[in-house]
Amino acid sequence: MKAFLPNESLIPWLKDLSSSLEVIAPVDVEGEAVYQTWKGQPPALVGNTLSSPIEVLMPRTEVLFRYVQDSGRYTFDEPKVPTRIVVGMKPCDLKAVAILDRIFGSEPTDHPYLAKRRSTLLVSLNCTDPGPWCFCAIMDSGPDAQEGFDLALTDIGSGYLAEAGSAAGVLLIKGCSSGLFLEADGSHEASRDILLENARSVMAEKYGDRSVGHLRRAIRSADWEYLGRQCLRCGGCSFICPVCHCFSIADLGVPDGERVRCRDTCLLSGFSRMTNGANPLGSIGERMRNWYLDKFEHLPERTGLIGCVGCGRCDEICLAQIDRWRLEVLDERSRQQRQQHK
Amino acid sequence: MSDHDSNGSNISKRNNSYSGCSKYSGQSSQGSYLPLQAEIVDIDVESPNTYLISLALPSGVDFSYKPGQFVMVSVFGLGECPISITSTPTRGSLQLCIRLAGRITNGITDSRIGDVLGIRGPCGNGFPLDRMKKDILIAGGGSGFATLRSLINYIVDRRDSFGKVAVAYGARTRQDLYFMQEYKGWQQAGIDVSVTVDIGDEGWKGNVGMVPALIDKFNLPAGSAAICGPSVMINAVASKLMARDFDHSDIYVSMERHMKCGVGKCEHCCIGPYHACQDGPVFTYDMVKEVL
Amino acid sequence: MKKILTTCVYCGCGCGLYLHVDEGKVIGASPSRKSAASRGKLCIKGWLSGDFVNHPDRLSYPMIQRGERQIRASWDEALSLVASGLKGMGPSAVGVLTSAKGTNEENYLFSKLARAGFKTNNVDHVARLCHAPTVAGLSYAFGSGATTNPISSLEEADAILVVGSNTTEQHPLVASYVLKARSKGAKLIVADPRRTQIASLADIHISPRPGTDVAWINSLLNSIIKEGLADRDFITKRTMGFEAVKESVLSYAPEIVEAICGVPAEVLREAALAYGSADKASIIYAMGITQHTTGTDNVQALANLALATGNLGRPGTGLYPLRGHQNVQGACDMGALPDLYPGYQKVVDANARAKFEKGWSTKLPKGPGLTAVEMIQSAETGKIKGLLIIGENPMVSYPDRSSVQRALEKLEFLAVCDIFPTETSKLADVVLPAASFAEKEGTFTSTERRIQRIRKAVDPPGESRSEWEVAAELLRRLGVPGDYSSPAEVMEEISSMAPNYGGVTYRRLGAASLQWPCPSRDHPGTGIMYIEKFPIGLARFRPVDHMEPVEGPDGEYPLLLTTGRSMYHFHTGTMTRRSPLLDREVPSPFVEVNSEDASRAGLRNGQKALVETRRGQLQLEVKVSPGVPKGILFMPFHFSEAPANLLTGASLDPSSKIPELKISAARLRKVSP
Ligand SMILES: Cc1cc2nc3c(=O)[nH]c(=O)nc-3n(C[C@H](O)[C@H](O)[C@H](O)COP(=O)(O)OP(=O)(O)OC[C@H]3O[C@@H](n4cnc5c(N)ncnc54)[C@H](O)[C@@H]3O)c2cc1C
Ligand code: SF4
Ligand code: SF4
Ligand code: SF4
Ligand code: FES
Repeated sequence: MKAFLPNESLIPWLKDLSSSLEVIAPVDVEGEAVYQTWKGQPPALVGNTLSSPIEVLMPRTEVLFRYVQDSGRYTFDEPKVPTRIVVGMKPCDLKAVAILDRIFGSEPTDHPYLAKRRSTLLVSLNCTDPGPWCFCAIMDSGPDAQEGFDLALTDIGSGYLAEAGSAAGVLLIKGCSSGLFLEADGSHEASRDILLENARSVMAEKYGDRSVGHLRRAIRSADWEYLGRQCLRCGGCSFICPVCHCFSIADLGVPDGERVRCRDTCLLSGFSRMTNGANPLGSIGERMRNWYLDKFEHLPERTGLIGCVGCGRCDEICLAQIDRWRLEVLDERSRQQRQQHK
Repeated sequence: MSDHDSNGSNISKRNNSYSGCSKYSGQSSQGSYLPLQAEIVDIDVESPNTYLISLALPSGVDFSYKPGQFVMVSVFGLGECPISITSTPTRGSLQLCIRLAGRITNGITDSRIGDVLGIRGPCGNGFPLDRMKKDILIAGGGSGFATLRSLINYIVDRRDSFGKVAVAYGARTRQDLYFMQEYKGWQQAGIDVSVTVDIGDEGWKGNVGMVPALIDKFNLPAGSAAICGPSVMINAVASKLMARDFDHSDIYVSMERHMKCGVGKCEHCCIGPYHACQDGPVFTYDMVKEVL
Repeated sequence: MKKILTTCVYCGCGCGLYLHVDEGKVIGASPSRKSAASRGKLCIKGWLSGDFVNHPDRLSYPMIQRGERQIRASWDEALSLVASGLKGMGPSAVGVLTSAKGTNEENYLFSKLARAGFKTNNVDHVARLCHAPTVAGLSYAFGSGATTNPISSLEEADAILVVGSNTTEQHPLVASYVLKARSKGAKLIVADPRRTQIASLADIHISPRPGTDVAWINSLLNSIIKEGLADRDFITKRTMGFEAVKESVLSYAPEIVEAICGVPAEVLREAALAYGSADKASIIYAMGITQHTTGTDNVQALANLALATGNLGRPGTGLYPLRGHQNVQGACDMGALPDLYPGYQKVVDANARAKFEKGWSTKLPKGPGLTAVEMIQSAETGKIKGLLIIGENPMVSYPDRSSVQRALEKLEFLAVCDIFPTETSKLADVVLPAASFAEKEGTFTSTERRIQRIRKAVDPPGESRSEWEVAAELLRRLGVPGDYSSPAEVMEEISSMAPNYGGVTYRRLGAASLQWPCPSRDHPGTGIMYIEKFPIGLARFRPVDHMEPVEGPDGEYPLLLTTGRSMYHFHTGTMTRRSPLLDREVPSPFVEVNSEDASRAGLRNGQKALVETRRGQLQLEVKVSPGVPKGILFMPFHFSEAPANLLTGASLDPSSKIPELKISAARLRKVSP
């Protein structure tokens, strides 16, 4: 089902939604768009946020359960799962959800993730104006959402073309106050196609040299020891990535407390260090290589999907400014130094 | 995805890809992180820093396991860590053999009879008893012997289903040898048991040296092998076995990795494309030899 | 679910970050693209800076000592005890140690509390242990003791000299700009006895024997002058005293210095050439320069180098003393120092005193007070009887732990305000629970003089309160006029009293930041300092000479122990050790040893060793590391279970009174298992 949401109806529609659901949308906080609970502000729907809304399904820290001790025995309490609707999720992040579904949904399934997944509706927003780091088109995850959304929006200037991707999505259109959505017509779809085609060609022009095959070759030929020496071990490339999902588990509190899980990063040496001190991924270079192998070799093998959706966030936040796609430091001088080191 | 098959990783690939695997609607109790509460019913000392803990699970819980599997054990407030099941499913209680290593293991052994530990599992694949040959060599070094004891006692209890069985086991000193009081029973069950220590002393009359040296003593047909211990030992034993015509896919190795979730999600235990907690901890030697 | 823009609570880089809040709890942190300092990046500590906020160990109600135990008390009871307890001892017997972790507003109020409330100038903070020599040295040389240029200015340098700073681990954001400059072709010179990550990335690595910095820095100047690389024009127009320095460095020819420092003359010459011939060269330094009995001289030697080459007042040049704590700069600015009022106005200056007496409507004490280490030492002799310690853990962070413990135990009254129980709070008569950075409003001033807001994301746990509220309440109880309802109001007072903050208001700070000096409401703030002139007119050269460290290695203690930080922990670890990931990275104390020294002691990686100095001994794990040169032991000081400062000495630099934390003679033995 398709419909048209005029610009002036966007906020009334969100109000409508927020009467029954917690609406999570990007809004301006001190000059920057971030996803948070929508409280009536104008949504900041341009560009992608630095933090992915994937945090709704995979928060940086979440309580797995609370344990309470009573005369030597414990009772456990699992947190309630809020019912949420994410509005404005970009196609790259949506593709990441598809990958996570396969990871957390494969047997044995991960209950905390799935509980949130089931109680979250996803309204995606196609990218007509990709950001400076975006290359989703190259990774086949954008600029338009293919699947996995309940409702997909495209900003076509005068308003949004809305396309339902699930029964819930149809209800999002039909169930709201009447008059908000109008009938969509062929011209809406035509402008959508033009805008998306344009976005696609912008990315192709800028990042046309990137491809999975190319990166796989780079993984094989990269000088990992050298790259490792540059890495400042900030862990950002894992924390920011909507596909990275590794986590750690810790207990906070005795005798009562919470067992929490928090997003982790395989760039840290403690991630893989074993009890006897031995580390199968002993050097930072090996760990970086593992980060890439996981995304481009192992995840595809396990899930059938490439572990990168082309959101460009890891490029943007890399503290060491490593060229993440060429896997090298580009300037002449470091190249010479590298020769000397060998 | 033109060069999907390129070998970027160290590890040879497995064939069964998950592509198009179950969607997010699956149901299983394993992926819940809520542990069972198991009561400590007995504590015994195996070596100066190792304790044997016997647990009783809540009644009515179906907890069937295989030798080689492990559980995630919690001490609430300290955390959770992977511990092999050292008992055999053919006998009653669930036993863990805990070597003091840090916070949680100390917490486990600080517990008293009647206290509860959290248990999640069983996790991992265990030894593939249906695929293993009848003649089995079992080789263990150090604390890795805990998981092998499960297999040995299983064989003792199902002796008829197995052929020639030999056990080679080594520890640092005499005091560090686990399960000494059980060797006799194993021998009585017709198992060839040979034990060695790295450092001998006056009270020790047995072998001094490394586990691989014990292999030479056995007269064993090429069958299956189960190994757990330090990498050096695994490699040395495996190469001796292959020299004796053991097929590398008949040599099963139980691997240790840093583990957090035990259900194949957290990625701590990755060995190339595999998760040691799900696809392992038991691997065939050819799957893991490059990372040993 | 919401996000709050704030400023990182760990190092002095001042990165901007969003705290992620869900159900009223901080659940994470992520970078802010708009942050002028960090521009969408964070280091691992920043990414994990929200971790400790929810920790169940947080102090949540006031406690007072009853017999052997600390029992719960009301705020009213606790605060009146603090006010009366300290007031009663008399001005010369009271001291206040404030916190570089606190906000500017808090430090200002505690500085005021000491001076106007307790009538004492005995107020100091942790800067004594890190950058007192910088304040002393650079104030003398330039007239101001702060970083001269913005961090981002490093990007434009042609050469960067990094001295005694493990930049990639301790100030990762600064390191990221160094790497940027380097990839654009800047020469990188790193001086550090250890082969740190940044040293491994350097074009030239100088590995001097610890305690010989003046010698090798002088030798660089020696070569620069000899090669005609000195900036004659700059020297003539902007500086004074060059001739004396020129004279004094004559005796530091590279060959002579090679014998003192153990650095090949060739390397010294090459470094001199790289720094001296660059059009724009910057110097970055940290604790490796300051934590010495010659700390102030070391700083002056670096200042001489920058002055002689005209590397000041332009983009890509300057001196960067890197501040360890996120607000150590601000605490200094706010006069949490025994000899300076807010805005670096001298206590001994009668005009300044008159200004503050007028502004604070009360009489103020004359003459500088005691420094932090002196306060602790006077407590041991009984001269100081009461201490108020805010957010500091001297039991772990100060040198010579046993004597610190004796001193604190000897006090008649000790009050501690902190977010977690610490080794120090355990000794306190009154413990006040404080709000963390995520639970209050205020400002921090980063190492590049950048004043930035922090914002309240969640409520403080239990009854805990912001430290500014504690200070305001104590001021009220002591009858000092002033009634503050918010940190914004405190900032208004600050801007009226401290000229360099004259134009700072919360309204202007908004989502942006200001770099001081910012003397008036219409002043845009100052990125690069000293473009036209120095605050003292002409900058001052001062000849400095090499002096052997007080405690060198000898037959009995043949090794040199130097202390420092690990990348994953902060200070005494009260916050980082409560982050599951940071704690996992470095869960336990260790000593780094060169493989030769290790094998001489019969030690292998991971084994337990006994490290002894004249002051004490510790057992801890050995890490055999190729990064540590022969003869040196390195130990981080974060761990209260193996406090490195049990081993360090408290010899002081005569001018800045910083203790010698970087060098102690030590020996190493194997512990049989
Ligand atoms: C499949 C498997 C089976 C095991 N079976 C047994 C057994 O039967 N008996 C036994 O005593 N031990 C067994 N272990 C080892 C046991 O899990 C570790 O000794 C335990 O995790 C240490 O936890 P701790 O809290 O006591 O030590 P910690 O205080 O956590 O730390 C000690 C060291 O272990 C590292 N470490 C922390 N967490 C883990 C982790 N999850 N996995 C690995 N290393 C970690 C730390 O980095 C640290 O260096 C097994 C491990 C695996 C993977
Ligand atoms: S790897 Fe980088 S570009 Fe790809 S999805 Fe992750 S953060 Fe985005
Ligand atoms: S973001 Fe860059 S610097 Fe940070 S861990 Fe990843 S590769 Fe290293
Ligand atoms: S560099 Fe410093 S200020 Fe920036 S995130 Fe790291 S600790 Fe915080
Ligand atoms: S332990 Fe989490 S994936 Fe194996």
